[in-house]
Amino acid sequence: MNTEKIITLENVVKRFKVGDGEFTALKDINLNFDKGEFAGLVGPSGSGKTTLLNIIGSLDSPTEGTATVMGKSISELSHKESALLRNHHIGFIFQVYNLLPVYTVYENVEFALLLQNHSAEERKKAVMDALDWVGIADMANKKPAKLSGGEGQRVAIARAMVKKPQILLADEPTANLDAENAHAILQTMKSLNKELDTTFLFSTHDEKVMKYMDRIIHLRDGSVEKDEIINSKSSSK
Amino acid sequence: MNQALRLAYRNLVGAGLRTWLNVGVLSFTFVLILFYNGLIDGWNKQAKRDSIAWEIGQGQIIHKDYDPLDPFTILDGHGNINTIKGNVSPVLVQQSTIYPEGRSISTLLKGVSTNQSITQLPTGLLLNTDANIPALIGKNMSNKSGLKEGDEVLIRWRDSEGTFDATNITIVGIFESTVPTIDAGQIYIPIEKLWELTGLENHASYFIVGEGYEHKEIQDWEFNSQSSLLETLDAMIETKKASGTIMYLLLMAIALLAIFDTQVLSIFRRQKEIGTYIALGMTRGEVIRLFTVEGFMYSVLAVILGSIYGIPLLWFLAKNGIPYPVEQVQDFGVPISDTMYPVFSLGLIAGTLLLVVVSATIVSYLPARKISKMNPVDAIKGKLQ
Ligand SMILES: Nc1ncnc2c1ncn2[C@@H]1O[C@H](COP(=O)(O)OP(=O)(O)O)[C@@H](O)[C@H]1O
Ligand SMILES: [Mg+2]
Repeated sequence: MNTEKIITLENVVKRFKVGDGEFTALKDINLNFDKGEFAGLVGPSGSGKTTLLNIIGSLDSPTEGTATVMGKSISELSHKESALLRNHHIGFIFQVYNLLPVYTVYENVEFALLLQNHSAEERKKAVMDALDWVGIADMANKKPAKLSGGEGQRVAIARAMVKKPQILLADEPTANLDAENAHAILQTMKSLNKELDTTFLFSTHDEKVMKYMDRIIHLRDGSVEKDEIINSKSSSK
Repeated sequence: MNQALRLAYRNLVGAGLRTWLNVGVLSFTFVLILFYNGLIDGWNKQAKRDSIAWEIGQGQIIHKDYDPLDPFTILDGHGNINTIKGNVSPVLVQQSTIYPEGRSISTLLKGVSTNQSITQLPTGLLLNTDANIPALIGKNMSNKSGLKEGDEVLIRWRDSEGTFDATNITIVGIFESTVPTIDAGQIYIPIEKLWELTGLENHASYFIVGEGYEHKEIQDWEFNSQSSLLETLDAMIETKKASGTIMYLLLMAIALLAIFDTQVLSIFRRQKEIGTYIALGMTRGEVIRLFTVEGFMYSVLAVILGSIYGIPLLWFLAKNGIPYPVEQVQDFGVPISDTMYPVFSLGLIAGTLLLVVVSATIVSYLPARKISKMNPVDAIKGKLQ
């Protein structure tokens, strides 16, 4: 094994308090991801996809087991360290885009860079590049409320990609999009994956999305049911 | 900090009307506090100036048995004036009753020296007249008694033997003063006449001190400095100020509540946004800072907005004064003129500014601290209730 494991999950268990008892959302998950993978977590609603993405994104931590992302154990990170990890290395795309409503498209994308130390020119170039990647450079000054669903999700992708993260986590990114927009966005992400060697991890139960995946991990009731490599090209880098 | 300022500014401008409503209320409070305190300060200044000019002078020398606040001390509270030298003007106080048009009004009869210039009381009017006993009264007294210039009125008093006596006095002048304590219920006649009427030759109850007088210990007499005499006035004005303070603290509370409300509501309405901030890599500290800076910025915008309309308005009022209904004036018990000139000192402006900015910032920091404790996963979902 000489490939770089960017994400390692060992015996990851996640339990939530529900009333007096507990609910086990993830049961003993063991998974590895190589740098540059384009993989999908597939499963019915409630199977644990979002929970798993949140742990990998260091927004949450496992109850048991270890999740290691870019060599760092998620449970051991301080708030500051996990914020730093997200800020520099992890991009999020949400089902409902989560754009900041009072900011323009440009400002939404610029946001992540403002948390880092970049000069104004660097920021401007990076933001315009990111908007170009997703094909909405002409909407830079619009507010999110004025955008269509497809445009909104493109802004979210640009915002996640502008800092050129190592890992991009997309939680049901096409759930609110029509077929045409879903395909366009997946093509965009696929080309970014090739161009920037970013590791993409999706959650979805959308058939259209699965067609694009190099690897599909089937989740059911918090367990991995099947882990299939469809296109070994990316994992045999 | 630069980052927080930039983001806070974007958030405020982006929030549009909500921001401007908060800023508007806060700026109004800012200007009102300034205006009110400026008015009190201006009034204070004017009241002191007038009290000095009409009543207090550079101080008073009061007979040890006389207490201006206790009418029972009038009878014995006086002494011979020959022991006191210098630029002073004697006043002898006696109790009396006048009977204008059959009514009886109890009055303080004050003998004053006709050639004095220490106070603005126009005692010169008592000189150029052929009236037997010329008298001066104030406008308020004139209104209450119905006495006008040239009127004669019967006055009754007690002489040194304690027997009642009565005669007619002639009103030769009516003065106008903002100082109610020298007007209400008082009649001024030449001190020599009062000596004649009472048999208290060369006696006075107190002296008003003029410029250049230097006091040395004198048996039976007590020196009251100008500032000690102004203390009562200060205390009265402080009371008025306190009752007004309640009003503007209430206003301030409303304005701060509006901001607090906006910021607390923000936790709920903006939790998704906050979750997104955190997902994008903001630390808790940065979130707190952002919200606190937003509150700070509210107050800064409020100060700027308040200055835009407040400076011309307050400047105009300070320059031209504010007309004050004279009818109410005398009931105040404190010198108050029919035009009030507010005074806006640097200290007042700086203090008000600080009050507004600091309280708005604190009120924003409190909910921000709560925000930072939120679980980001719940926040992103907008789950917190
Ligand atoms: N904070 C939580 N508290 C309690 N139960 C939760 C919480 N988050 C998720 N769950 C439960 O865990 C299971 C997996 O949820 P999730 O990861 O959101 O599934 P998916 O994204 O695949 O739909 C669900 O049954 C859900 O109800
Ligand atoms: Mg989900």
